[in-house]
Amino acid sequence: MNKEEKQEPVIVGFFCNWCTSAAADLAGTSRLHYPSSIRPIRVMCSSTVDPVYLLRALQEGADATILGGCHPGDCHYISGNFKARRRVAIVKTVLKSLGFDDTRVRLEWISASEGQKFAQVMNEYTDYIKRRGQSEFKYIDSLGGDSNEQ
Amino acid sequence: MSNEKLREFIKTAMSKGLIGAVMAPTPTETSYTHALITSKRDVDKLVPIAPVMQWNGADMLRRITRLGDAPRKTLAILRPCEARTFKELVKFNQIKPDNIIVLVYDCPGTVHVRDYAKKKIELETLLDEMQSGKISDSVREACKICEYPVPVENVGDVGYGLFGTDDPVFFPLSEKGSEFLSALGITPGERDAEKWVRIHRENRAKWLENERITGGRKGIEDFLSSCLNCHNCKNMCPICFCKECFFEDRTIFEYNPDKYYDWADDKEGIRLPTDKVLFHLGRLVHMGTSCIGCGLCQQACPVDIPLYRLFGIVAHDLQKVFNYTPGITDDPPPVMDFREDELHEFEGLREGGE
Ligand code: SF4
Ligand code: SF4
Ligand code: SF4
Ligand code: FES
Repeated sequence: MNKEEKQEPVIVGFFCNWCTSAAADLAGTSRLHYPSSIRPIRVMCSSTVDPVYLLRALQEGADATILGGCHPGDCHYISGNFKARRRVAIVKTVLKSLGFDDTRVRLEWISASEGQKFAQVMNEYTDYIKRRGQSEFKYIDSLGGDSNEQ
Repeated sequence: MSNEKLREFIKTAMSKGLIGAVMAPTPTETSYTHALITSKRDVDKLVPIAPVMQWNGADMLRRITRLGDAPRKTLAILRPCEARTFKELVKFNQIKPDNIIVLVYDCPGTVHVRDYAKKKIELETLLDEMQSGKISDSVREACKICEYPVPVENVGDVGYGLFGTDDPVFFPLSEKGSEFLSALGITPGERDAEKWVRIHRENRAKWLENERITGGRKGIEDFLSSCLNCHNCKNMCPICFCKECFFEDRTIFEYNPDKYYDWADDKEGIRLPTDKVLFHLGRLVHMGTSCIGCGLCQQACPVDIPLYRLFGIVAHDLQKVFNYTPGITDDPPPVMDFREDELHEFEGLREGGE
């Protein structure tokens, strides 16, 4: 198996248009470094992501996923982020219940002005995921991936 | 006897004009199906308490009330799990309850439809075993570990107690049920079913401990290895009521031919059909917080995967997070609700015990 020794992990970010996506832009224009491991997807609100897509991203090879929304009280659609929090809680619980690593799904509130926080969270999470090694969920239902190595 | 008394109950209610229809099981050659009857002359066709549950009766009520209240006042005779499903589907706006009276009874459990078709095990046998305080070996796995095998207050309207009494008793579960009984001139009776509940819960506790699917990828892939991806489990699940299931959306799950080959390159070979595990985990993510534990998913599985072990145990974990018991709790289902100040342990990065 080509192990791609300690390569950069892939982290799929579902970022709300009104906050975390703007924070990513701000981090960029402020020349704050954040790792290329983050693959951002702009969504209109954290609540628009069916939680199955978090699993889907992990299945398709992401080492982790991060959902970024507006701080509680600041959602442009009033309560989208509270619903998103319930969905993240559900996905993490299902993963944990079956013995998967639930830290590979992460929820963060990052406002448009928090370019600094954005860069920091992404750097830390990338390091963390790198340390965790390959995700067991990666390529689930295929002939490759971790559990087929033995 | 327990069925005879119920038929009399129905006939009296019809004679008095309290109801215009009844939904309850009726026998077929090798099973039982739900039936809707509208006349007293058809009451004897009903076997209100059946030894088999082919479908979830609440699912039938969903169909009947699709466009609004039941057109005629309808008495629905449901098992406890069906009554909980009824309550859950009302909360999901899938059943209009106003013109329906639900009667729920102490449940002796049900035999798997396939077992019953091969060898009939009659209700009397199940009831005798129940009266002797023993959960029958013949009933389905979900029935052996049922958390609420008896009527519960505010889940349905009228209770029908069988456990520990030679003569079945009626008692009210709701205001509506109480009025119904008094209109029929029935004095509420009592019986003690505590033991029946307790032995099921003891079983359930052991089951939760022993049957959990663990081990991440290998655990779940092995568990589902013979799955045909037929979606029968979803089709029979009363909580999976979506008109168009996410997992049957061709725009999502039918791919360009090239995609399969690219995946095969990247993933060192792929299994076909794709997305089999994702279907089950995704379904759990969608409806697990409201799984009422009827076990019909498992009964529907043509290859005998003990699917309720997956759904029931993960659902147990999910429902604990939301402090929610579907079909019992009055709050809206977790997926329809939120609190502003909750679930902070799911925010940010919290490393587990590893
Ligand atoms: S998942 Fe299974 S046990 Fe749960 S409600 Fe659906 S059919 Fe019943
Ligand atoms: S799996 Fe999800 S989308 Fe499909 S019927 Fe069930 S709840 Fe609806
Ligand atoms: S009913 Fe059984 S075989 Fe069919 S999809 Fe469900 S688990 Fe798989
Ligand atoms: S608009 Fe940002 S989370 Fe809803």
